[in-house]
Order: sequence, then structure tokens, then C-alpha cells
Amino acid sequence: MSGLTFRLTSAPKERLDLSQLTPRKLSSTPLAEVLKLNVGSTKSGLSLGDVFAVSGKPGDTVRIESGSARLDFVGAELDHGTLIVEGDVGVSAGRNMRGGRLEIKGDAGNLLGSGISGGEIFVKGSAGGQVGGLSAGDKFGMTGGLIVVDGHAGDRAGDRMRRGTIYIRGKCGSFAGSRMVGGTIWTELGFGTDPGLLLRRGTLIGPSVERMLPTFADAGRHDLVILRILSRYMSATLGAQAPKLLPTSVRKYAGDLSTVGKGEILLTA
Amino acid sequence: MKVNGILIDDTFAEAFGMAGTGVIITADTMKWARIAAVTMAGFGTSVIGAGAEVGIDRELKPDETPDGRPGVRVLLFGFSPDSASAQLKTRVGQCVLTSPGSACYAGVEAEKRVGLGQGPRFFGDGFQTAKRLGQKRFWRVPVMDGEFVIEETTGIVTDAVGGGNLIILGNDRAGLLTTAEAAVDAIGGVPDVITPFPGGIVRSGSKVGSKYKGAIASTNDAFCPTLRGRVKSELSPDTVAVLEIVIDGLTSKSVADAMRVGLKAVIDMGAAKGVTRVTAGNYGGKLGQHHYKLRELLP
Repeated sequence: MSGLTFRLTSAPKERLDLSQLTPRKLSSTPLAEVLKLNVGSTKSGLSLGDVFAVSGKPGDTVRIESGSARLDFVGAELDHGTLIVEGDVGVSAGRNMRGGRLEIKGDAGNLLGSGISGGEIFVKGSAGGQVGGLSAGDKFGMTGGLIVVDGHAGDRAGDRMRRGTIYIRGKCGSFAGSRMVGGTIWTELGFGTDPGLLLRRGTLIGPSVERMLPTFADAGRHDLVILRILSRYMSATLGAQAPKLLPTSVRKYAGDLSTVGKGEILLTA
Repeated sequence: MKVNGILIDDTFAEAFGMAGTGVIITADTMKWARIAAVTMAGFGTSVIGAGAEVGIDRELKPDETPDGRPGVRVLLFGFSPDSASAQLKTRVGQCVLTSPGSACYAGVEAEKRVGLGQGPRFFGDGFQTAKRLGQKRFWRVPVMDGEFVIEETTGIVTDAVGGGNLIILGNDRAGLLTTAEAAVDAIGGVPDVITPFPGGIVRSGSKVGSKYKGAIASTNDAFCPTLRGRVKSELSPDTVAVLEIVIDGLTSKSVADAMRVGLKAVIDMGAAKGVTRVTAGNYGGKLGQHHYKLRELLP
């Protein structure tokens, strides 16, 4: 597992754009040039060498040994290899990822995995709002891949999500799956208020909902074969870290009936 | 040569290239997975008259299926990917979609794909939904006992083989059938092959052509015991019955393996059951791309 390792030499005084630190981009850039990369977000012209000490050789893995909520766009455009962050990250981590694996050992800010179409994101801590959501100018949020958050997720997880799977071991905030077009959001500890606002298609799975929108219809309890497939997919993908198998019987709420209404909220408890 | 009292002809089976695909059918119980599979494989004996050759490859344990329920793998062979695909669509739509508790998944992994759920999904009348997990896409079609789940595509191979065969001759019809059954049972343990005729055995082997216009095949008179004396017969005076086992496989090796274990099963039964001879069907080697020589398949 060869690769470059980056360590913050001091706490960043401004937000840093680390979208260039992917295995592919670093493998094609001489180290001297890497140190000159502009990572600042102000007129100061902050270069990577000003804030990071670098060691190792380019390879399939990039490691950022220190974390900060000011490290933005970590793993953006990642398409292969592994990027590991030993602490927190800021906004838009894994933005537009197409492949590879992003591991964040701390918390993540807003818009984790926005626009992701492939690959896997793992967050040890909690994530901010709009996990797998969309940024300004995007047509859709997440369109593929897998996002796993061990802690909680903020509001509007999966906003305008189209495909892929978001798994939250903790609790989801309010409006999860808002404007969602497809895909799956699965929380172990339940949804906040009004999940599935303007949900067109897609599946929200969890043990409870703090407040159900009136535009969701109770379709009764069902044994759904697709949940067996989902459980086995998660087991195959996550191995020992996979969640427990979903129960054979869940209560289905169909909606959002104020729009297409082909989505569903499945309550496991 | 004679092996265990049975004459093995120095000849070969001549087989043809085919398109082969397959599905995994699951249900709440093995009983219902089998019912759906048997129904789908029904009238799937000869590609000439039935449009496709279809059969059960094997039963699958819950940990071998995509949804963790008991399952059955069905293979389907046709002249071309297009004809196999058309047969797959109608058979799944009529026989699997309709079967209680069933679900249907890709049974062959290959680069070339054909539609599986792309037709049956429209039964949902707009209420169907899709779920993509990893690289696979599944359709959920609302039906009266819940949902019919079907994968969007399955793999198809164009280098499959149809028409591997063993022809078994005997002087006791009941003993011959028992021996052929044993051979079919043995072939059932070989992966990626089917024996598409009833019980895996065909008693109406055919020759190409007919005296009647419009019939492209007719009875293989040279192997009909009751015509001995009237036609140029292939049968010795003591032969009272002939049975054939036809084998289709996803690969040439699987067909060869199936013929090998089938031949071994016949030889192991020996002449005691009335089997006198084993031969194989061919067209002089000019029509089929695959030749399986019996002497090379001997145990």
C-alpha cells in the first residue's frame, strides 16, 4: 500500500481545497509541483507545501494524517485507489467521486458525497447536512456508489438522490430523501421529521419516523424480497461491518403522493 | 470394443454451436421454486419444434441465491441470442411471474447480456419500480401476493453446445430404461448442462428429412426395432429398444464431462440390465462443429 502521506504542519488559517490530492492526480505530478499546488481559498495564494509536510512516494493510496473541519473537497473526483483521512474533513468530501474508496476517521461536513456516481465513502464519525445531496448547478445528487456513516447524518440526506445507497448507523436528520428520484437511504436509529418530502421514487428504511408527512399512505406490513437482496448486497460489500439482516416483515408507507408517489418509507420496528 | 459386457462403438457424437442463457428462480420453498422451474422448462425439448431447449441445471441452497431463499437454476438454449431471448421472455412471463412467491435472477454471468426483466416489468402497468444495487438492477413488479422481483438482464454465451448425445441399445426395455435413468442422474451432477427431453431421455430419435413435404425431421428408422428387416437397420437381431440422452451445455467441456459420466454410469450398470451397446448420433462430421469420440470418453 504505497503512497504519499500528508501531515498538517499547523492548523489551517483558511479553508483549504484539497481536491487535487487523489492518487491519479498525484501520480502524474512531480513532488516539487505538488508542493506548489494552490490549496488556499483566499488571495493569500497558500500552497500545499505551506501547510502540509509530505512523505512517501506516489501510489494507489493517499493518506492525510491530520484532520480539520477546514479541509474541503477531500477526495473530490476520486476515481480509483484509496484516500484515508485520520481526522475530520470539511464540506464536499468525495464530491463527484466515480470510484475508489474514501475513508474519513473523524466527522465530515455538509455535502458529503455530493454528486457521487461510484466508489465507496466511509465516515467513522458523523456527517453534516445533505449527505449524497446536490450542489448548486447539479441536476441530481448521488447517482451511484455507497456512503456509510457510523455516526449521525444531518438534514436532507439524499436530497435529489437518483441511485446508490446511503447507510447511516446513527440517526438521520429531518427531510431525509427530499426530492429523491431513486436509490436507498437506510438508518439504524430512525429518521427525523418529514422524511421523503417530494420523494418521487426510492426507498427510505429505518425503525422510526419522528413525524410522517400526511402525503404518505400506509400500505400495510409486507415481506419484501428486495430487502433480502439489499441485506445480502450490504453483507457482500461491507463484510463484518455490514448491518444486521433486515427483518422479513416491514410496514410500508407509499409516497410522496403530492408528486409521483412511487417512493416508499419502510419501517423496520 | 466391449467394456463390462457392453459394446462401445468407435464413433462420435456430433453437436452444434448454440446460444445459451439461464436464470435462477427462487421461491419461499424449494417445492415452489421447482414448480416454477419445471413449468418454465416445459415444452422445451427440441429447438426445432419447441423453439428452445430448456432444463433444470441444479437446485441451489439458500446461501447460493441472490435473495437467500431456495432456488433452481434453469438453462435455456436457442439457435441464436435473439431466438433464445424471445423464448426467455415468454417463458419467464408466463411461467415464473405467475408462480406464487417467485423471483427471477440472472443465471449466467457473461459479458453479452439479454433482457430478463425488461419485458415482464411492464406487467406492473406503471407501478413497477427499479432498484439498483452495485452493478445489478432489479425490477419490483406488484402482484397479488406481494412483489415479483426480477433482475433486468442475464448473461448469454454464444459458444454453448447443443446435441451432445449417447444412444443406448438393449435387449430388455425395462432394464434399458433403468440404465438410461442412472446415466441421466449421473449427468445431473455435472454443472452447466441440461438433458432437455422428458426425464432426460428421448425415445424418438430423428433423422434429417422426411418423405412428407414440410417435415424437416422424421423417425430414425435405422434405429427402430420394429422396422428391422424392412429398412437398412443399425440394430442387431437381439435389440428390442433404443434410448437416447441428449445433452446441451454452456461449454464444450461441460458437454464432454456430461457424456463421460453418463457413459460411465451405463458401463457401471453393465450388461446385467440388458444393455448391449452404446453408440452416438452424428451426421458424418460435416454439420456440427463439436465431435465427442466415445473411446476418448471411456472411464
